[in-house]
Amino acid sequence: MSRSKLILLLALPILAGLGVGLWLNQVMAPATDLAPETRVGGDFTLQSADGPVSLADYRGKVGMVYFGYTSCPDICPTSLTMMASAMKLLSPQEQAQVYGIFISVDPERDTPANMKEYAGYFHPNFIGVTGTPPQIAEIAAKYGAYYKKAEIEGSMGYAVDHSSTIYIIDKNGKVEDQIIHGASPESIAASIRRLL
Amino acid sequence: MNSNAVRLILMAFGLLMSGVSSADVAVVDPYVRAVPPGAPATAAFMGLQADKGDVALVKASSDVARSVELHTHIHDNGVMRMRPVDKIELKKGETVTLQPGGLHVMLIGLTRPVKPGDSVDIELSFSDGTKQQISAPVRKIEMKMPMKHGGHMPAKH
Repeated sequence: MSRSKLILLLALPILAGLGVGLWLNQVMAPATDLAPETRVGGDFTLQSADGPVSLADYRGKVGMVYFGYTSCPDICPTSLTMMASAMKLLSPQEQAQVYGIFISVDPERDTPANMKEYAGYFHPNFIGVTGTPPQIAEIAAKYGAYYKKAEIEGSMGYAVDHSSTIYIIDKNGKVEDQIIHGASPESIAASIRRLL
Repeated sequence: MNSNAVRLILMAFGLLMSGVSSADVAVVDPYVRAVPPGAPATAAFMGLQADKGDVALVKASSDVARSVELHTHIHDNGVMRMRPVDKIELKKGETVTLQPGGLHVMLIGLTRPVKPGDSVDIELSFSDGTKQQISAPVRKIEMKMPMKHGGHMPAKH
């Protein structure tokens, strides 16, 4: 084997490695590379039982935003209970600075009244809001929240498949953390406390 | 105390409390999740143990809901997909746990509010033709969740 072929042979795995590395770099580009306009979150206005609610109404406070629906027997109540448990880890003074917004991803069945009752059951600082299907779709897309009606057999008619993420909102209305399903109340409270 | 020990104690307690029915399945620590007034649905959870041989839970019914179905959750890349299942298979000697985030007895179209302190009567039907009546207390679930799915994702700045 000639010397140049040997070098090529030795170099191949290195080149291949470099290629994979570059590819990974492309695929797994860190979130910080995203342009500001592609960051998740942002302002919205939706209907509550007590009138329109905008995220901008809560400037100066720290929030938790969660997308779900009231016919959800398990995942949503679990998440809202987590959020409420996190609240209970905060002092009353801290709690006064924290809000929760439960956004319906089932605008056809949920009403402002039942969203209010549902969210308020978990904590008095939690409100429930809904809107028209296009409004909900637009806001969910801004937050990177997934939901989709799933026709299922049985008497429910349909369920709503949805991502289960608690968005932690800073005092300026920006998403500062995304807490995926199953995180402990302690970690949620810690995330909130950093922003208070 | 490790979780197996806790489970054993719970199981023993459940057996005592259930009075050991004629069915071949032990129902351990059944409970129904308390939900806000006006909520259209909730779920019942429990441990099921087939003592005498393989069997399946094929149906559940209750007067607290217009319709009762067996459901599971599929966790698919952070998306929760709730789906009905035909039956819940029980292997002899193994405990299958219906719990938040997974298998559950779905109570759809609640006929009355489900409040902590109440209890809900549920009839379980098994593939061997046996039935079992249980009374499941309603509990406001506090958070003692398994943490395996938990965690933070970086905010996208």
